[in-house]
This record gives sequence, structure tokens and C-alpha cells, in this order.
Amino acid sequence: MKIRYFATLRDVTHKTEEDCAPGAVTVGDLLRDLVGRYGHTFEQLVLENGKLRFALVLVNGQDVREQQGLQTPLAPDDTVVMIPPVGGG
Amino acid sequence: MHGWIGTILRVNLTTGSVSREPLDPAMAKAYIGARGLGTKVLFDEVDARVDPLAPENKLIFVSGPLTGTYAPSGGRYEVVTKGALTGAIAAANSGGTWGPALKYAGYDLVILEGKAAHPVYLWIKDGAAELRNATHLWGKTVPDTTDAVRAETDEDAKVACIGPAGEHQVLFACIMNDMHRSAGRSGVGAVMGSKNLKAIAVVGGGTVTCADTDAFASAVMQVREKILAHPVGGTGLRLYGTDVLVNILNQIGGHPTRNFQDGYFPTADKIGGESLSAKVLQRPKGCFACIISCGRVTKVSHPKYAGEGEGPEYETAWGFGSDCGVDDLDAVTKANYYCNEYGLDTITMGATVACAMELYERGLITPKDTGGLALEFGNAEAMVEATRLTAQGDGFGQKLALGSYRLAAAYGHPELSMTVKKQEMPAYDPRAIQGIGLNYATANCGAAHVRGYTISPEVLGTPIKVNKDAIEGKPELVIQFQNLTAALDASGACLFTTFGIGADELAALLSAATGVEYSTADFLKCGDRIWNLERLFNLKAGLNAKDDSLPPRILEEPLKSGASKGSVSRFPEMLPTYYQLRGWDAAGVPTPAKLQALGLVAERAVSGSLA
Repeated sequence: MKIRYFATLRDVTHKTEEDCAPGAVTVGDLLRDLVGRYGHTFEQLVLENGKLRFALVLVNGQDVREQQGLQTPLAPDDTVVMIPPVGGG
Repeated sequence: MHGWIGTILRVNLTTGSVSREPLDPAMAKAYIGARGLGTKVLFDEVDARVDPLAPENKLIFVSGPLTGTYAPSGGRYEVVTKGALTGAIAAANSGGTWGPALKYAGYDLVILEGKAAHPVYLWIKDGAAELRNATHLWGKTVPDTTDAVRAETDEDAKVACIGPAGEHQVLFACIMNDMHRSAGRSGVGAVMGSKNLKAIAVVGGGTVTCADTDAFASAVMQVREKILAHPVGGTGLRLYGTDVLVNILNQIGGHPTRNFQDGYFPTADKIGGESLSAKVLQRPKGCFACIISCGRVTKVSHPKYAGEGEGPEYETAWGFGSDCGVDDLDAVTKANYYCNEYGLDTITMGATVACAMELYERGLITPKDTGGLALEFGNAEAMVEATRLTAQGDGFGQKLALGSYRLAAAYGHPELSMTVKKQEMPAYDPRAIQGIGLNYATANCGAAHVRGYTISPEVLGTPIKVNKDAIEGKPELVIQFQNLTAALDASGACLFTTFGIGADELAALLSAATGVEYSTADFLKCGDRIWNLERLFNLKAGLNAKDDSLPPRILEEPLKSGASKGSVSRFPEMLPTYYQLRGWDAAGVPTPAKLQALGLVAERAVSGSLA
């Protein structure tokens, strides 16, 4: 599974992307794993009171907020994109 | 009056006369200010069928009631006219400090009519206004003009001006203020150039009073807290600027690439906000009273593209970048600098070069046409050179100066122009994001993202997430965003405040500032009224439902790669519902009942048989 990071998540992880062991079955599993690895700052950028709100988490380009949120299933060959709350116009 | 200054400055450039008029309180209440008041004045005073570059067109600079107050990011003004690029109503919005300065100098709006016999500039100081000779300024760039006018008037003067592009009447020339901020779209700078008006300099020691200072202070504190608490308005925009959207739109497959031939650009990261911060950013910058600071002060060191200035914004990075197949951030930034110095809209400039590149690659234009310039996608040097040629009015640049629609039409292929109402679509592909396509098609000024920024809910998920691929509910969403934005533009606040606040808070700010009680419903109704009056102007100008359209490519050619691969716009399915919900008939004409509900009975009458 490939994870790609953008904006401040690159500063927190010091990575633009990484391969992740395919242990995570859902997006929620993956986020718990990453919070354990990168700490509270990572958690603050992605979750709000334990829920997804303004951060974008895409699985193969599809926004998980339009799927099953943290329960969205993951497969070993998925690409997960993580973008903290940013915007523009 | 409170919030409003209560005074209009009217300048007849043909006769050289300058006069002051009171602002009608009833008109101010109904149209709020800026985009609203400007639209009302244009509708009342200009024959909509006029040639945009004729002396009979008028150019209106207008602030809003919140402009120049300490409401967060309350520093905007609008330039309203009949657009040179589009032949439709133009309302180009800008930040910086010029709008507040106009009010401190004693005016809500300036109406410019006629045409000067030779280049002039307008100097306004503490209510006094005079036209001065600008023959010696003609040909100067925006920074040189700004410096020269300040030297002749007041070192604290705020200057809005055109560059050489406006003088040459490039159809997408913009008006620049504070050197780096632009009233960008629809060719308002060409209209200014057609009037031989080089600049307007303003300075004043006045103030903007508030009707209820305690209520205003309370509303400002609440608004400020909400904007700063929102992760986008509070930190996201300051950290990366709007260019951070490059990667977001690319990852969802909605980042138009190579003249909208695709929606995914594999190397887009090289021109995104993260790269901008690492390579060229000097510091963030905010406009008047801004607490967001999305502006980017930048510097390019690469010898080929060396320079200093501001930008690029997301739209600019996309236009000169992905849309031209270019991933060289230094080159993109240099093209941005040319536009700022010569006074060009970066969206139309970039998209016109992209269109020319497709014409070139299809063999429809040749090196003989371009003067040897190899306009191939991905050729960064050619992109920058095409921009320079347009800015300076040289060679093939004179054809690019017409914008992509007239360029493509001249070579027999108007369908390769990615425009609505002859104005280039911005950096969100309607095939990947259904609501924004409906907004582009129906925007009165031609394709524009800032008329109804449905990207917030459709992509960013704010205030709530809606499915970007669905069409159900999108007409309602688009209308809601269009009306809110029209009222917000009229107030003088910045669009980015809506990352944190909505109509409730804006209505409260306006009520406290002006003493006119605006409920949330009143505020949104003002937006609806402005939208419908813009529509009436366009109908009088000869536009009709056929102009509410998207390019055939967007409707027929599925995206080839990326996360939205296979999608096309389903805009035609949404338009009838949009018309119905707007209170318009099947031909897109506001019904008498709708106009009556908005208090536009008199306007309907002068529209003759239209309604």
C-alpha cells in the first residue's frame, strides 16, 4: 500500500510518500497506525475529535467521506492520499 | 450614512468635468455596494448593446460598506463595466489597499464616462479630484507607473492603473492596484485603456463610521475567531497560499491539463504550493485588514527567469503550468511577473497559450504564424515568450491578445477554446466536479470560479461535504453559492472569509456597520437581486440561453486518466432545474413574478420584451 502526503503532513512525516505494511484493513486502522508513528501533530492535522472532517483522505483518488469514512476498506495495492485542511480559490 | 460614505464621484473624460453626487440610500440598501451598486449604475446608465471599447461604455470603481472598516479582510473593491473580452457584464474584484483609500478620500464609487483626448490620470485627495496629463506615463509598466504617479502626487497615494496591455486594449487586460493585486477578469483594463485613462491615485484622511460601534466590534470579534478557528482560513491559506490546490485537484483528477485534454498532470507537484514554499516563497502577504494572508511574495533566482514580485496563485500556476503541460515553477512564476508588470489576466493568458499550443500541435497554426515559436505542450520557454509577446504587443502576441476564443475561431476551430461567454474556464475541470460546471456555464461574467465556489463543498468538504460526481441537488447548491457570493462581493469582504463564516455573520457585520437591519434572508435576497440584474443586462446585450453552455470537449470527451477517468460533465441535465429554481422561464429569462419579488419591476420595464 502506498501512502502519499501533502502540505504540512510532509513536514510532520518528513516524507512525500511511503510504502506501508498491508496490515491495515480500514482507513481507521491505517490512521491509528500512522498516529502511533508520527504522534499528536499528525493526529491534529487529520482528525477532529476522532473524526474525519476537513482533511482529505483519498483511496485510489476517491474521497473516503463519500464512502464509509474511517470504515472504508483498504486493499494491499491501494494508494492512499492524505491532505490536511487547506484550500484556496 | 454609516458604512457608506454617501458620495459618488463622476468624471467625464471627454469634457474633463468632475462632479460629486449623493449616493441614494435606498439604492445602497438594495444593492449594498461594490458589485451590487456597480451593476445597478451600469444597468441604469449604459446601453447594454454598446461596444465595450466605445466611449459610451462606463467604467465604475466601487467599494462596499465593509471596505475600509476593520472587519476581517474587509478591503475589497470592484470594477464594473461591460467586458471587453466577453461583451457581458464584467465585475472584477480586487484586494490590496486601494478600495479603503477611495473611501478615506471621500467616495464610495467613481463613475468614469467618455474618452479623454489624450492619456490622463485621475488624482483624488480628500474629496478633491482632478484629471492630470499622463502622456509621459503611457507605455510604462505597472510598477513604473505606480512609482511615477506617487512621485507626482503623494508618496502615500494608492494607485490603480493599467500597464501597456491595457493601453494596447488586449482583450483580457486587467487593472492592477498596489502593484501586485488585480481586478483581473473580462478585460476591464482594456476598457480603461480605451478611455485613455492610465491610473487613478487616491489618498485621504477620512474614516468610515459605523452605526453601532459596540455591535460592530462584537461582530468583528466573533467573525475573527471563527475565521481563525477554521483550519483553512486560520492556517492553511497562510502556510501554502492558494497554490496548494494544485495537488488536491490533481489527486482527485480535476486538474485541467494541456488545454483540458485531461484532468491529471503527472508532474503537477513541481508547481504546487509545497514546491512554491520551498523554492520561491519569500513571505506570505495579506491585503488591508487581512487575517488570512494568502498572498505570496516571491523571488526567482534562476538566471533565465530571474525576478521578484507576487504570485503565483493556484489559477496562475495551473494556467501557465499544467494547462500548458509545463512543470517548471520558475518559468510559471516569470510568466506571472510579466502579467503583473504589463497588466494581464493570468487565467486567460495561460489558457490562451494552452489553446495556441493545441492548435500548433494539431498543425492548425505553424511556425510561420508564430514567428518561429515552437508552441508545444511542455515547452516552458515558449510559454514565457508567448506571454512576453502578448504583454508587449509583439508579433504573434497580437493574435494571442484576442483571447483563446477569437484565436481559435480565426483558425477555424472555436471548439478548441475552453471558454464560456468567450471567457476562459479556470482551474477546476467540470467533468470531475459537476457543480462547478453549472456555475461556469451560468456565471454572468463568463466562466469564473469566484461566482459560486462550489469547490468548497464538492472537494474541500466545507462547510459540509457533498458528492462531487453527483448532479442531484447541484442546481440548488450553485444558486445558493452564487447568491451568497454576489452579496458578499457587494459588502466589500473577501471571499476567503467564507472559510469560517457565512451569510449570518456577514449580515450581522453589515447591519452594525450601516445601521440598516439586514437579516440573513435580506442579505441573500440582495445577492439574488444582483444576480438577476446582471442577467437582465446580459439579455439586453444580446446574450441568451445558448450562451449558458460549456465547450463541447467538456460534454463529450471523457477524462483520459487520473481519479476521474471516464467522466464528462452532465451540465445539460442540470440547467433546466437551475432555470426553474432561479424563477426563470425555459429560455433563461427571469419571469415577471421573480422580478417583482426582487423589486426589479422598473428594470424589467426598461428591458422591454425580454421579460
